[in-house]
Amino acid sequence: MLALPLGDLPTRSASGFLIRYVLPRSLPPQLIGPMDRKQPFQMLTISDAIIGVGHGDDSSFCGHNNQVVMDILSIPNVKGKIVILIACETAQLLGPELIEKGAASYIGFKDDLVWVVDADLAFTPWSDKLAKSVMLPITSCVNTILDGKTTGEAFNTMQEYFSRNAALEEDDLIRSCINFNQKNAVLLGSPEARVTARPPLPLPFSLIPPPPILLPLAS
Amino acid sequence: MANAEWEQLKEALRKAPTEEARKAAAEAMRRYLATHPPKSKPTLVSLGLNKPYPTSIPLEQIPGELERNPAFFEQFRKIVEEG
Repeated sequence: MLALPLGDLPTRSASGFLIRYVLPRSLPPQLIGPMDRKQPFQMLTISDAIIGVGHGDDSSFCGHNNQVVMDILSIPNVKGKIVILIACETAQLLGPELIEKGAASYIGFKDDLVWVVDADLAFTPWSDKLAKSVMLPITSCVNTILDGKTTGEAFNTMQEYFSRNAALEEDDLIRSCINFNQKNAVLLGSPEARVTARPPLPLPFSLIPPPPILLPLAS
Repeated sequence: MANAEWEQLKEALRKAPTEEARKAAAEAMRRYLATHPPKSKPTLVSLGLNKPYPTSIPLEQIPGELERNPAFFEQFRKIVEEG
């Protein structure tokens, strides 16, 4: 399952990279924009992976307009699933609780997930060169899992990609963000967990970006 | 390679977030930004929830936020220390 809110600049940026590079090869259900709400999120966990973007804290994870879709007191059926939460701080309490409730693996962050975006590109966030240095390693982690590789391999792919980008980055602030996120990335549960491999990004999606996201952006 | 303004910013953020330290950090951030004229609208974002600081702030507004918000000062210091 993919949960991709689009309401504000940070969710738009992170979800945009998943829309560009992951969505065409993922299986339904896909909760995008205003569809990313608690009731469908809690009910539609039929997939073997839950991949979500959203605002978060140590115990909660949010969907559209910051509605809490999952917290430590309302965890849907995650037994045997791989859960990736592209959010702040969920590795502190929510991640361990997901493992306690039977998730095979969890990948998330224990502090703020921070990056620099170009606000002028909010309608085509996948074209944002400032955001790429943080968002492509995360996207690569998700795609490695969808390739059928283990969560341990996917996590290492992300960490190595962060290291490469930090070494190449000339902007001090962006490099700090990369290093900060790398330090705070966490893998819990089994590093051997994997899902059924999905086909690679099909044509024309590998060549042609999606149309602009025309949903309004909260100020 | 970090420039001198970046190193000065890191130094300014190492102090406790007193009013004087926040003003000094804001000034250091202004000097750093002056060496990086923006080509677009760069904005620092995070996916935090109910934070005592904004989750989306244009870089040009960071000095002002450093000056008035100790919580942002602390979080920005944690990020900058990694650089």
